[in-house]
Amino acid sequence: MRELLRRYRFFWLAIILLLATVILYSYNLRQKTATTFFERAVLTFAAPFQTSIDGIADNLTDIWGNYLWLVDTRQRNLELEQENRQLHSQLAQVEEASLQNERLRKLLAFVDELDRPALPAQVIGEDASNWARTIVIDKGIQNGLQNGLPVVAAQGVVGRIIKIGPASSRVLLVTDASSAIAALIQRTRTRGVARGRGADLSIDYALRDADVQVGDLLVTSGMGGIFPKGLPLGLIESVEKDQFGLFQQVKASPTIDFSLLEEVMVIVGEDR
Amino acid sequence: MKGLSLFILTGIIFVLLQSSVLPLLFSPNWRPNLILILVLYLGLSEELSRALIVGLLLGAIQDSFCSSSLGLYVSVYTVIVLLTRLLSEQLNIESPPLLLLLIAGGTLVQNLLVGLYLTILADGSPVLFILLPAIPQQLLTNMIFATILLSLFLRIKRLFGYRPGLAGLFYQSKHHGN
Repeated sequence: MRELLRRYRFFWLAIILLLATVILYSYNLRQKTATTFFERAVLTFAAPFQTSIDGIADNLTDIWGNYLWLVDTRQRNLELEQENRQLHSQLAQVEEASLQNERLRKLLAFVDELDRPALPAQVIGEDASNWARTIVIDKGIQNGLQNGLPVVAAQGVVGRIIKIGPASSRVLLVTDASSAIAALIQRTRTRGVARGRGADLSIDYALRDADVQVGDLLVTSGMGGIFPKGLPLGLIESVEKDQFGLFQQVKASPTIDFSLLEEVMVIVGEDR
Repeated sequence: MKGLSLFILTGIIFVLLQSSVLPLLFSPNWRPNLILILVLYLGLSEELSRALIVGLLLGAIQDSFCSSSLGLYVSVYTVIVLLTRLLSEQLNIESPPLLLLLIAGGTLVQNLLVGLYLTILADGSPVLFILLPAIPQQLLTNMIFATILLSLFLRIKRLFGYRPGLAGLFYQSKHHGN
């Protein structure tokens, strides 16, 4: 027996080792999540080496990729720069379209409330003098417009058409010195005439005893037949009463910032 | 004829700038009147009859780009051309500061005449509320832009081989003295 063991020593050892490893493996299979002492020791020992080797490999890869292997890099860089510029430009266009969409939505909502047919137009120019307040829009006779038609924006009254060409028209803004619109204070129905003063409006013929307060909304009265009734014109800015006189001096700031005006609606017809 | 066309072309470019580009950059009070600067230069450099014709045309161009009825700027620029010719024979207009003073004078005269015409003839008295407070800004901005345009003009002149300096401004006209 002893002779048999000695003769097949290697064979028995191999079987024992194989069985031991199978048992070990089988045992460990049951405890998958538990880390053995051996595994922990290997991990602890190997970690610093692995980190260092990984860092060195990364550095070498970086050096190779960034400084040595630069075939087509310049070309690629130019392409990416070009692509970047195009994407920036597209992004700007999308943002611009989105803003325009928002403005037009407000404008359409305003015109829907008005319940009159209206034609949208773009502002394409301003007055060439510093004292007159007019704008040029991109619609004219070809689009069915005519002199005197009222022009509005989402915030209120813009003005009326005073000169007309085949494909463009000049609009006299409510702030022009020659503009005068019949108006009334929305809260108290006090009547007056809103005259342009360049940057703001003066309300003429507002009776001295009439109740006008700072912050009141000034709207069109509908008298005169050009502007529909109730369109916002401005907000009362100041009210002054002299010791004598029939009327009070009232100033209003327009509801529209004309320097930012881009799209307008020309009201082309009567009530639906 | 070539000179006249050049003035008209420059006038059209200026008026387009004034109505489309400058409004994006400046508020109305700070917007320069480039046509006025051109008219003043015209009065100094061209013979009277030519200056008057071009002045009338430039006035008509500006009128058609404004809300004013045709004739306001035609008349204003005619007066300015005449006054410029009258003054240019009395003053040493080769001096740059004096030239800038002339621009300032032209701005004042233009505002005065526009105000006068609109108040008396067009019943636009509220326009004075707009015109008068804007005069200081107008003076400043017109003088700054005149300086820029003048230096650009002199640079271009030098580029094409003309002698540098302002001396060429009045005497360069072939028709001077008529």
